[in-house]
Amino acid sequence: MRNSLIGLLVFIALAVTPLFVGQYWTGQLTTYLVYGLLAISLSLVWGYGGILCFGQAMFFGIGGYIMAVFTKGMIYPDLTSSYLGLLAAMAGAAMFALALGYFLFAGRGISGAYLAIITLAIALVLERLMNNWYALGGYNGLLNVPPLKLIAFGYSYELWDRLPTFYIILGIVAVVYFGVSFLVKTPYGLLLTAIRTHPDRLSSLGYSVLNLRLSVFSLSAAIAGLAGALFATLDGFVSPTLIGFTLSTEALIWVAIGGKEMLLAAFLGAIFTRTAESWLSEIFGDYWILILGVVFMISVVLLPRGLLATPIEMLTGKRKRK
Amino acid sequence: MSELIPIFLDASSYILILVLVALGLMIVFGMMGVINMAHGELFMIGAYVMVLTQDMGLPFLVGIVLAPLVVAFFGLLIETALIRHIYHRPLDTILATWGLSIALKQLVVLLFGPESHSVPLPVDGSLDVGTFSYPVYRLILMLTSILLIGGTFWLFLRTKFGLMARAVIARPATAAALGIDTRRMYRWSFVIGTALAGLAGALVAPIISVDPQMGLGYLVPGFLSILVGGAGPLAGVLAGGAVIGGVNNLLAVWISPVAALITVYVIAILIIRLKPEGLLGGRRAK
Amino acid sequence: MLELRNLSSGYGDALVLRDFSCRFENGRVTALMGRNGMGKTTLLKTIMGLIKAKSGSVRFDGQALETWPTHLIARAGIGYVPQGREIFEDFSVTENLQLGLLGQDPVGALPFSQIYDWFPLLKERADQRAGTFSGGQQQILAIARALVGGPKMLLLDEPTEGIQPSIVHDIGLQLAKIAKETGLGILIVEQNVEMVRTLADQVLFMENGEIRESCDIEAVKQDDTLLHRYLSV
Repeated sequence: MRNSLIGLLVFIALAVTPLFVGQYWTGQLTTYLVYGLLAISLSLVWGYGGILCFGQAMFFGIGGYIMAVFTKGMIYPDLTSSYLGLLAAMAGAAMFALALGYFLFAGRGISGAYLAIITLAIALVLERLMNNWYALGGYNGLLNVPPLKLIAFGYSYELWDRLPTFYIILGIVAVVYFGVSFLVKTPYGLLLTAIRTHPDRLSSLGYSVLNLRLSVFSLSAAIAGLAGALFATLDGFVSPTLIGFTLSTEALIWVAIGGKEMLLAAFLGAIFTRTAESWLSEIFGDYWILILGVVFMISVVLLPRGLLATPIEMLTGKRKRK
Repeated sequence: MSELIPIFLDASSYILILVLVALGLMIVFGMMGVINMAHGELFMIGAYVMVLTQDMGLPFLVGIVLAPLVVAFFGLLIETALIRHIYHRPLDTILATWGLSIALKQLVVLLFGPESHSVPLPVDGSLDVGTFSYPVYRLILMLTSILLIGGTFWLFLRTKFGLMARAVIARPATAAALGIDTRRMYRWSFVIGTALAGLAGALVAPIISVDPQMGLGYLVPGFLSILVGGAGPLAGVLAGGAVIGGVNNLLAVWISPVAALITVYVIAILIIRLKPEGLLGGRRAK
Repeated sequence: MLELRNLSSGYGDALVLRDFSCRFENGRVTALMGRNGMGKTTLLKTIMGLIKAKSGSVRFDGQALETWPTHLIARAGIGYVPQGREIFEDFSVTENLQLGLLGQDPVGALPFSQIYDWFPLLKERADQRAGTFSGGQQQILAIARALVGGPKMLLLDEPTEGIQPSIVHDIGLQLAKIAKETGLGILIVEQNVEMVRTLADQVLFMENGEIRESCDIEAVKQDDTLLHRYLSV
């Protein structure tokens, strides 16, 4: 209860932020919200589902490319609806995750360190593939992806301005955040905790570990795909870097620094890290990345539950999630 | 026929370097269950030590001796400050060493700049037999790698240290109860693994471009070699390295580097998925 | 002499041993009996430092060992034969024996010839892979591996588990002889009454992490009500 209160406070704080910061930062923050969405997806699959995915950006990138291809009218010139694009992005990412997940988890599935290495390798392969897929722009990616176009009650509105874009994105992120927060408190969330801690026992109780894993993997991929699609409309541009290794590991750092077992901490981990990066990289220049690496290392060793999750847990008075 | 020989030699030298890098990874992974994502950066530091000694005008051999020592020192530092605190949390070691890898990479960028450096070949000239011609240094490199790989195998399969190391891998608690200091074994195995990476970096420095990103290009194939070959027996690395390195190199010549890389990764992923214990089998496979 | 005072230990938050106190003299064979789950294995593992004691002390020849790492406890002169033997299956017999020696101070160690005298089998099969041994042969190897470092106290965890009776008797006789010859103290956790009768000088009965009864072996031999009560045989 207090947990969702804090979540609510965080989103209210985010909602009033544009009143205090300028256009530039509002725009930046919009992007960070999308990264936060990616962080939520990774927290769900890793912190809750126990699947350490070193290539979460592949779903982000797939979502981005599908959105771009749709809204640019590359599939069918008249079919450029943003809604359709978002849906297709989520469905595409989820389906890819389903196929990949089946390949990875069925039978004597892969887990732990092996899974980390393999997902890392798959992200690298996809990045190379996109670099050489010339129909999709190859190394240069796809330019001129249109912004979100909202159509309702016969009105049509393209999100070019920063402020409305910010609030629409914030709304979407809030819906996903509260939806996932609710989901992990349901019996389904309990089952996820069980597959993370005692997969063998769960299967002897008659649950299909494979189906559970697939469901959480696909759901998380759909969220990452949504984030990627939103990102494409913000940037107006998709490229192979969205799909690959660098963004994947960046997301991992946000989530680990924030706290993988708490959606809010993971989400804020992305926003804080990116904000800090914008500020501190001006002050520290090239030293920033060095600092980030060291902070990441220290937080993993000393605060395995996360740099942000620990204080939030103290606030909510919740000590340990079993 | 004679134009095929250099291709096979190139592939072999790549395989040997890959095995050298993977051996260090494997020792650490097999013994402590630790995935050292910063291994590629240790390899890179070895290469930079060579760049530095060459810039200072020191003989090539000084670099060859210094690189493993410097990198081993880094390894000792890393083990003491980082690994030993988290080796009972294997997945966290991936993350922590990943942070280390980022930090080391950036440190090198700050010290040497992001651009690539080159090291002159210590031995010019090539071996000519009829129409066949091949650079002498590459032959020396291959021979040295073979000796190093053999030496590592000898250390782990034929010496008392190796016997204790293998005992610690098989049954750590029982080994400790027999009086074997497992912590110490972990530490020195880690240091040996890092020294190998450093030496490998110094050895290949003259034939590749030395830049801060070079580590990753060996880290992932190195891991895939271990997983493909099987993380149990030491010889698994040879099989894995041969498959990964061989396919990659040959396809790169015959088709294209990109297609080669993609094919290799896909083959590796398939083998790991279908045969999780690796080609030669291994006890640690999960 | 091994002396345990108010030792508490267990897994996670659950205590298996509570305020356990006991003394084991050198040169004496003490058998620790009790049903499964009563804390016998936990006790041995705690002495070896494989499980860290929550509180209390482990003193051996005047040194407080409870905070020491396992390998130093072994080097202090406590040999350990774990449950299930835990020999190194992939290594040869000689390599297994060597491992008992490599971590130890060479000064107190026993020559292989001494080990071969006690267990001639190990000499005959020196190069054989240990994994090919039968259960009983593996047990002999595990005992020899613990003895070769020259311990003053030997901890044995259920050495007869899954071994054919003829070998059980041989092992019991041999251990009794070694204890007598060398002054080795033995603490043996055992459910096999035959083994205990062959080997022990003294029997402790354990229940719920505490010692309930302590008596001389002769008392057990004459009257088996204690065996019935604590082992339900």
